[in-house]
Amino acid sequence: MLSKKLTIPTVLIMAVALVMVMFPVFWIAMTAIKPPTDWNASPAIWVPSEPTFINFLTLFDTDAIRKYGVGGVSQSATAAVFGSVFASVIATALSVAIGLFSAIGISRYGNGGKATPLIILSGRMFPPAAIAVPFVIIFSTIAMIDSYGGLIAIYVAVTLPFSTWMLKSFVDDVPREIEEAAMLDGRSRLMAHFRVTIPLIRGGLFSTTMFIFILNWSEFMFALVLSYSNVNTIPVQLAKYVTATAGTLYGVQAALAVLAMVPLILAGYGIQSHLARGMTFGAVKQ
Amino acid sequence: MNRTHSIGIKRPSALVVENLSKRFRGKPALDGVSFEVPKASLTVILGPAGTGKTTTLRLIAGLDRPDSGRVLLFGEDVGRWEPKDRNISMIFDNLALYPNKTGFENIASPLIIRRESKQEIEKKVEEMAGILKISHILKRLPRTMSGGERQRIALGRALIRSPNLFLLDEPLSSLDAKLRIELRTELKRLQRDLGYTFVLATPDYTEAMAIADTVVMLHQGRAVQVAEPQELYDKPIDRETACFVGAPQINLVDASYEPNGNGGYIKVAEARLPAPPHLQRAFSSGVRDFELGIRPEHLRMGDPSRAQIRSRLVDIEPLGLKSVLTVQTSAVELRLLVKSKETREFSIGQNMGIETTDSSMFLAFDRTTGRRIA
Repeated sequence: MLSKKLTIPTVLIMAVALVMVMFPVFWIAMTAIKPPTDWNASPAIWVPSEPTFINFLTLFDTDAIRKYGVGGVSQSATAAVFGSVFASVIATALSVAIGLFSAIGISRYGNGGKATPLIILSGRMFPPAAIAVPFVIIFSTIAMIDSYGGLIAIYVAVTLPFSTWMLKSFVDDVPREIEEAAMLDGRSRLMAHFRVTIPLIRGGLFSTTMFIFILNWSEFMFALVLSYSNVNTIPVQLAKYVTATAGTLYGVQAALAVLAMVPLILAGYGIQSHLARGMTFGAVKQ
Repeated sequence: MNRTHSIGIKRPSALVVENLSKRFRGKPALDGVSFEVPKASLTVILGPAGTGKTTTLRLIAGLDRPDSGRVLLFGEDVGRWEPKDRNISMIFDNLALYPNKTGFENIASPLIIRRESKQEIEKKVEEMAGILKISHILKRLPRTMSGGERQRIALGRALIRSPNLFLLDEPLSSLDAKLRIELRTELKRLQRDLGYTFVLATPDYTEAMAIADTVVMLHQGRAVQVAEPQELYDKPIDRETACFVGAPQINLVDASYEPNGNGGYIKVAEARLPAPPHLQRAFSSGVRDFELGIRPEHLRMGDPSRAQIRSRLVDIEPLGLKSVLTVQTSAVELRLLVKSKETREFSIGQNMGIETTDSSMFLAFDRTTGRRIA
């Protein structure tokens, strides 16, 4: 169905963009259900004739794939899945909670003056690789390397600029007079924020949470350099399916990638359906 | 003006504002404002936009802290009190209704916060809705209400409890002219009937004249004059106040006073007007240049050959009962407010004579400072 605004060139450009974005996803999804013989067949097999779940099984039962004569998976993905969920959820919760209070402080009280919001953002101005090595050294010294505490601390530090700035923009959108009206109605400053501001930005709060979760969930580099054996996450695990004996286990890797995508898709969907604007419409004179 | 003003009728002061000053980013927003609000009175803070009206109200409510000065509520210094402890109701200039709550919940919120019983809340809200004629919109969200309905909901939220003081920040500004006049009459009646103390900020001098017991005239962060409305109009403290209060605007012309044997006269351009007694007294020391202020209603048309001032008609602006005439004299443009039926035979460009009617209402201002001399 073409609406008036969808002209043929627009549709063409959108189709090209869609193919560019979706083709890797399609390829990963297909690879995840290919038996080992089809992984890097030449010519390429687009859709497997005998789809299988063996790759998914192998993620959690490392020996499952041996019936195809392929071995070498040394580590089950269970720990990685647990590690990803644990680190992402805790780090997201902390980042959003701290970011929320920072946002209210900056937006309502001008805490830290004009410079603070920019200083917070400056953490994002370095390439992560530039600060990864110092962090390895610091964390080694204070015995936080290869620990979830250390990884979560880094995740919070890295995502805090985003949560602060995103939430600040949502708090800015709520007229401060609504909080002040609540104060005059009998609420304390703190309760006015809890009972008035936060309910009014809950759409933004949800979107920010999802966004920060996506960042944490897909983070690779810090997890790689700060983990040895105790800590493992899905992105790190994905890099471990390159073996000496059987080459890269593309199918197993793709299977884990498909699993990793599920929360991202849900979060992305959540963001777009919850990013409701106009929450405060009618509160103030237009 | 740094002293506290006392007001004609002696009643205990609900509010005393003493020497209140506030700077925002180094720029003074309020500069030593003082006034007193008697209990059960309606005080209007009048002034152009950006002159510190909202700042004054916010300092009284405790939403901002003053750099210096004191706020006393019933004799108590509330400087360190949280807004919630001051027992003040405020209507914000943007109303600030809770957008996610219905009309009922908005009005009830001060009672809900005070944990009053459900039956009690319902009873009070229904009573309030009856007074404000908004019973039919209690179940609706603010976004589905008209401007006037939102205004009334905000009013209901402020009136539902009996606070020490009501602060109203341009509460009628978003309404159309008819509703504004209707609601301001209602506001005044509510205030008087319930014996409430109102402090209302507005840039609209007609609103101030219509409802105020006392007007605090703010100009550039200073309370330049605290007076009853008619006094503000008849005896404005300075040129700015004279211009701000009254439409069409007061006529200001350069003039000089020249004494002679029988009382002296005012020389305006080539015209000589006999000086009224109050000007004679003010200038008894001798010849002096000043700025003469004559309200448009104190001028009238006269015989072109014999009138005190000669002019040419530039514009006629009919306002219904009265019309505003703009005329050009040799020196300045003057505005006259005259009955419309007297203007019927006039045409633009014709020569006209101008006479003054009530010279006892003449105002004289110092040319440099703008202060009223007489």
